[in-house]
Amino acid sequence: MNDRIIFEDVSKFYGEILGVNRINLSVPPGITSLVGPNGSGKTTLMNLMTGLVKPSRGRIEVLGCATDDPENLFKFVGYSTQFDAFPKGLTGFEFIYSYLRLSGMPRQDAERSARQAIERVNMVEAASRTIAAYSKGMRQRIRLAQALAHNPKVVVLDEPLNGLDPLARSEMIALFRASAAQGCYVIISSHILHEVDVISDQVILLSNGYVVAEGQIQSVREEIQEHPTQILIRCNRPRELAARLFEAEYTIEASIHKDGRGLLLKTRDADRFYLAVNQLAMNGIQIESITPADDDVLSVYEYLIGSEEVIR
Amino acid sequence: MAVYRRSYRPYSGALTPEWSRFLVLFRYFRRNLFRSKIQTGFFVLCFFYPIICLVIIYLAHSASFLAKLEIPSQLISIDNMFFFRFMSVQGVLAFLMTTFAGPGLISPDLANGALPLYFCRPFSRAEYVLGKSAVLGILLSQITWIPGVVLFAIQASFAGASWSWENLWIIGSLILGSLIWIAILSLLAMALSAWVKWRVVAGALLLAVMFFGAGFAQAINAVMRTDAGHFFDVGYLMAAVWMSLFKVDAGRGISAGEAWVAILAYCSVCLWLLLRKVRAYEVVR
Repeated sequence: MNDRIIFEDVSKFYGEILGVNRINLSVPPGITSLVGPNGSGKTTLMNLMTGLVKPSRGRIEVLGCATDDPENLFKFVGYSTQFDAFPKGLTGFEFIYSYLRLSGMPRQDAERSARQAIERVNMVEAASRTIAAYSKGMRQRIRLAQALAHNPKVVVLDEPLNGLDPLARSEMIALFRASAAQGCYVIISSHILHEVDVISDQVILLSNGYVVAEGQIQSVREEIQEHPTQILIRCNRPRELAARLFEAEYTIEASIHKDGRGLLLKTRDADRFYLAVNQLAMNGIQIESITPADDDVLSVYEYLIGSEEVIR
Repeated sequence: MAVYRRSYRPYSGALTPEWSRFLVLFRYFRRNLFRSKIQTGFFVLCFFYPIICLVIIYLAHSASFLAKLEIPSQLISIDNMFFFRFMSVQGVLAFLMTTFAGPGLISPDLANGALPLYFCRPFSRAEYVLGKSAVLGILLSQITWIPGVVLFAIQASFAGASWSWENLWIIGSLILGSLIWIAILSLLAMALSAWVKWRVVAGALLLAVMFFGAGFAQAINAVMRTDAGHFFDVGYLMAAVWMSLFKVDAGRGISAGEAWVAILAYCSVCLWLLLRKVRAYEVVR
């Protein structure tokens, strides 16, 4: 069995409207984030992955299983949609239980799995209340619980952090990490870029239905040649360090940090800079830290998709 | 690079048969339906006429009691016409029940974008439609052909084997006539609610299809001096089908065959509309 989620030359058109075009992906285990502006094709990609829509062209395989085989596919795939929709009158427990029964789980197993899922999202006390009385964050959590309830290996979550307060967000992120640590595939779409940056093992950047970049964010950043790498150097004598850096040909720009305790270097050859750090640190310059300043999702997003579309 | 423990354990228990899963939808929606006191009250009211029919059957076989009331026994005849009238009354009640219960079956799911929740598991669009229509199917069966068959059985037990044998075809007419009516009502209600996604409007549209359809049919017939207007009147078409099934003289108008074809065409159009709308995604243009 293939251990990846594979898209081979996949396109989806809704009549004349482009969903996604010529997508080639091989998604490994871990947390993968889909990032892109509204209408970029994130939900379409998730719907394709879960077999909810058929590709107009190309082939999709989820861990070796075709997406047009729902009986097998949904044994190991869980999906939480971004829509805030629940059947009327159900309690949180009934919501999860009924969908497990719909998946074919016998009564006792469904009850046990529903309770476990509710515990995982920390909703035990609210489980017997109707969903109509839930806050937005609670609804989001119960929806996550239904996606996780049958213990799927592939969890596809459309905007799972929307509407959650900071505490609930950190709990959910811990949950995603725990799933990923077990060898599961957690596919997330999110607009909250700094959280994507923190939680993702790899990202897929989408724009207008095309994948503009994929992989680990640092690798993606290294591929972007037209934008010099930015490095923040914290040191005791930034002006002296800047003077020394200007002697090196790999330096494009060096600016003193506004707090006066460091400088921001722009370079087209970060590796040469890192090799030269020891020499730079001589002559009494004490370097406290060196951190890349633009190898996060936000920067890569700005470079590849455009600053006007950035969602912070 | 993350290091994964690969300690994941999938669910490995038994699964229920695929064919039985649509019943989950049926159970939940039926329970919701009877949370409404009006709905429950109306459902109980639907058994009023079958009870009257039961009394009539009893009276028809109680000559001494009729004599006491000075009612000539010839006045009460339990035959195909009796069961046709039963079907007509219960058919109207079934329609009213559908206007209560039908529009709320699909429109909330569509209005809230909940369909992906159903389809992201081993559950197809056909099973979804089947599950939803089972709610109406079973509910309407309880007020149409099931009491009809019970009445036939009671009449048969009073009238004896020869009457039963001669009139056995009435059971087929009761069941087939009811099922085709249930099918058209369910499909109309679900198609309209899927199309407008608004429960109240869908209910109003269902009433409009029946009543304005009948009015429109009469107008066409009067203006164009034809019977073709009846094709717009679902109630008339159904009555024509029932008349043929219960061997009741239909008089003028369109033939039973034409009515059957028209009813099947209505069902096909509703099914087509339904399958166009019941999808896991919607394109926002």
